[in-house]
Amino acid sequence: MFRKILVANRGEIALRVLSACKELDIRTVAVYSEADRHALHVRFADEAICIGPPRSSDSYLNIPQVISAAEVANVDGIHPGYGFLSENANFAEVCEASHITFIGPSPALIRMMGEKDRARAEMRAAGLPIIPGSDGVVPDEAAAKKAAAEIGLPLMIKAAEGGGGRGMRVVRTKRELIPAFLTARAEAEQAFGSPNVYMEKLIERPRHIEFQVLGDRHGNVIHLGERECSLQRRHQKVLEESPSMALDAATRDRIGCHVVQALRKLGYSNAGTVEFLRDDSGRLYFIEMNARVQVEHPVTEMVTQVDIVKAQIRVAAGQSLEDAVGSFQPRGHAIECRINAEDPDTFAPSPGRITAFRVPGGPGIRVDTAAYADAVIPPYYDSLIAKLVAHGRDRAEAVARMAGALDGFVVEGIKTTIPLHKRILAEPEFIAGKIDTHFLERLAPVEVK
Amino acid sequence: MAKKSKQASGGASSLRGVDLVEVERLLAFMQKHGLEEFDYETSTIRIRLKKASAPSSGPIHATSASEVSATAATAAVAAAAVRSSEAGAAADLHLIKSPIVGTFYSAPSPGADPFVARGRSVDAGQVLCIIEAMKLMNEIESDVAGEIVEIYVENGSPVEYGQPLFGIRSQVKK
Repeated sequence: MFRKILVANRGEIALRVLSACKELDIRTVAVYSEADRHALHVRFADEAICIGPPRSSDSYLNIPQVISAAEVANVDGIHPGYGFLSENANFAEVCEASHITFIGPSPALIRMMGEKDRARAEMRAAGLPIIPGSDGVVPDEAAAKKAAAEIGLPLMIKAAEGGGGRGMRVVRTKRELIPAFLTARAEAEQAFGSPNVYMEKLIERPRHIEFQVLGDRHGNVIHLGERECSLQRRHQKVLEESPSMALDAATRDRIGCHVVQALRKLGYSNAGTVEFLRDDSGRLYFIEMNARVQVEHPVTEMVTQVDIVKAQIRVAAGQSLEDAVGSFQPRGHAIECRINAEDPDTFAPSPGRITAFRVPGGPGIRVDTAAYADAVIPPYYDSLIAKLVAHGRDRAEAVARMAGALDGFVVEGIKTTIPLHKRILAEPEFIAGKIDTHFLERLAPVEVK
Repeated sequence: MAKKSKQASGGASSLRGVDLVEVERLLAFMQKHGLEEFDYETSTIRIRLKKASAPSSGPIHATSASEVSATAATAAVAAAAVRSSEAGAAADLHLIKSPIVGTFYSAPSPGADPFVARGRSVDAGQVLCIIEAMKLMNEIESDVAGEIVEIYVENGSPVEYGQPLFGIRSQVKK
């Protein structure tokens, strides 16, 4: 088992990893930027090393600084959390070269899943369905016509070298195809320096469904069920839950089996999440895999009672899945609300000093947060300040507990998205489980008085 | 570098000229008289002690104030030695701070003469020390001309980003 682990992250996930280490009797080292001098992960770790000025690129993303801190503190493991360096294959390799265990998948698999085209090809070869699309770049108008005939309408034209909506066009009729193709290419060239675009089937009201997986270093892989993360704003998840209302037991077992087989074949180890889009007819299409622990892992933890972060550390230390996880039985329903330091209506960031902070509690309530009264939320990092998770014996109870917990969560001094979550929880469509990735767009805008 | 001790330090250990027993007496004095801050200055050293419950250090309100100040004060002692040099230095010394995490070496190689010593005059651009990080030796240069008044770290000790290494009384060269 590890003797000492460095947490290469900050905020609530750093605290999460620190507590897993503490439970396993592993000494901890925190790294921090100057903006995080008073952060909780710095206080709660056994040792703390300042690694740079506030900007992420100069601190949390600065590989030489992080590795140097690991060497100076003489650690034998690094947990990268999520974001930052967690899916940086180069960083994982540098850890290995420095004889420090990177607590995550192998560099080769991180790299594979990071290259989205390659990940899709590998998963398709392993038997998972992917969204019908052009096989790579569509070079010219003739190819575009041919691809459109194969894929069917409606379809999406997307830039190959970038995202964020630029170089993207929706095509619903044959007539729109070529003009959209040409405009998308022009926009992509402008935005990313390359006009290359690819095409794929457009799923109108998709539901985002992802499977949590865990692998050990002995070739075993399991899945811990799925999460539904359809409530998103600009491709950022806002609320997640498990199980998904859109999956029946048969589909869950079938897809879960497929996923496990595919990952076993690839030799996947440690934690990961396999993401799908589900169309109106119930078909699931693989979109991508995240080779790390995810923000919303507590949802699965509440339903399965499996400590995913401890399992990560254990399998990285060489334990088998049987020892690291053991048996488990999914029970009940869990929902997570991501609470951001943002204006709930405009989503403008709201950094600053928190003047009052009271977290809810009671049966089935979990709060993962690094915020506290008098804490200053710095402007340099993402705006997530707390994850509020509610578990109940069924979805109705989870919803009721979440609504109550949101009412009891007091944060003053900064704006938060708590009011947005209250609105979501009160929406009849949400309560009925009728959700898809456009749900938040449809939520009526708040009247500005 | 903040390696923190969780229990109250006893014994007559000293930390670069700071007598911890003395500091503990000062802490007890503060506690007894309900003081929030205490400033102590001589010609050679300045010590500033601040209770964790004082607003600007951002305490966690969930724990009781005395509990927090007990552990935070001990951590503050270790930090105070560094900050005391900073505080005293701020008056007239220019601080050379470490730009990286690593191990501080005062000489170019083991057994060689140190790059600089207290009292030595240095030029801007002159190499003061080496900080080793990931097997690479990084030469740290002075950014001012002046006299080395303080050396805050010992040879072979780990340093973090922003940690004060040298205090230089800068001189404008004529």
